[in-house]
Amino acid sequence: MNHLSPSEFVDLVEGTLDAPRAAHAERCEACRLSGAELRRTLELGARHAEVPEPSPLFWEHFSARVRDAVAQEPVPAGGWLAWRPGFVAFAALAVAVIAVGPFIMRSAPVAVAPGTTVARAGETSAAFDMTLETNTEVWEVLTAAAADLEWDEARDAGMGMQPAAVDRAVQRLTTDELNELGRLLQSELGRSDE
Amino acid sequence: MHTRAWPWTSQTQSVHNVTVTNPTDSDLVAAAREGSREAFDVIVERHRRQVYQLCYRFVGNHEDASDLAQDVFVRAFKGLRTFKGDAALATWLYRIAVNVSLNKVSAKAPHPESLDAFERQGDARLASRDESASDAVLREERATQVRAAIARLPKKQRATLILRTYHDLPHEQIAGILGSSVGAVKANFFHALNNLKKLLS
Repeated sequence: MNHLSPSEFVDLVEGTLDAPRAAHAERCEACRLSGAELRRTLELGARHAEVPEPSPLFWEHFSARVRDAVAQEPVPAGGWLAWRPGFVAFAALAVAVIAVGPFIMRSAPVAVAPGTTVARAGETSAAFDMTLETNTEVWEVLTAAAADLEWDEARDAGMGMQPAAVDRAVQRLTTDELNELGRLLQSELGRSDE
Repeated sequence: MHTRAWPWTSQTQSVHNVTVTNPTDSDLVAAAREGSREAFDVIVERHRRQVYQLCYRFVGNHEDASDLAQDVFVRAFKGLRTFKGDAALATWLYRIAVNVSLNKVSAKAPHPESLDAFERQGDARLASRDESASDAVLREERATQVRAAIARLPKKQRATLILRTYHDLPHEQIAGILGSSVGAVKANFFHALNNLKKLLS
């Protein structure tokens, strides 16, 4: 008969092992010794790791601390009302992204090829400045909409990011859009290094 | 939102305008969700010792354990609306306590209270009345070794050992707390005991 499994050893030391397997543990010296050692360790651990009882005053003090900390939290309302503000903010953000996202991407400046004339470069620069200004305004709208958004609430409401969603979105971008995405990422990385 | 007054006392509470003697945890959770901070006070009073002791077993010192236990109750209050009630409130609180404790011990190596600190506190409560002072010292030294050995166990083994051995929770409840199967809990318990034996030998 097979030796006891880890799960069965636990049942053995806790006295809940079924009779046939307990009979094996009696007959098999290896299982019997292992079981006895486990039991000794369990007793040793149980005997020597008491938690010192804090002062009786501690509990009142503790409850008061929790009360003070909880008093600074809003009442946790349940149901739909609880996540409605977050939902509204998230929905507004989603609508804003859908509405202005393509505009941001399509209006992104086109990379200037080598040999481009000065006049052409100047036009591009002006377009780029205008795009930056527009992007800033759009960005302000988006950040304002997202300011009250609790990510946990959005996630609890089933609005979290789906696996591979970013990969799929990136695969759908055009070359220009990918260039602009790269520029924005470089810009953000540069900012985080400052 | 509509709120009610909740005149809580230690024995008799009013829930949904009906006076209830010894309200259940579910009654208290329902009242706390409706805005009764007094109901939440009763929840804290009811579960604070177990939560504190669980946290203590992870961090091994009073200061961190009391901070963690406070954090557990604040998180519980904030998450009351997500508590579905399909598990016991105690199980849910234990789950939060295990998570915050494991996060804490991951971020910072545990530093169990030293023997000196123990002696400075003059806390002789651990020693039985007929135990000599030297026996008490040896006993506390051994306890410190056991706590240090437990602190070196892998996370899930440590959590399983603590919940099973010191809080006497059934394997099924531990499985619910740790998000594991009963078989995995038993296997973790077995490996925890084996590793503890090696660490103490």
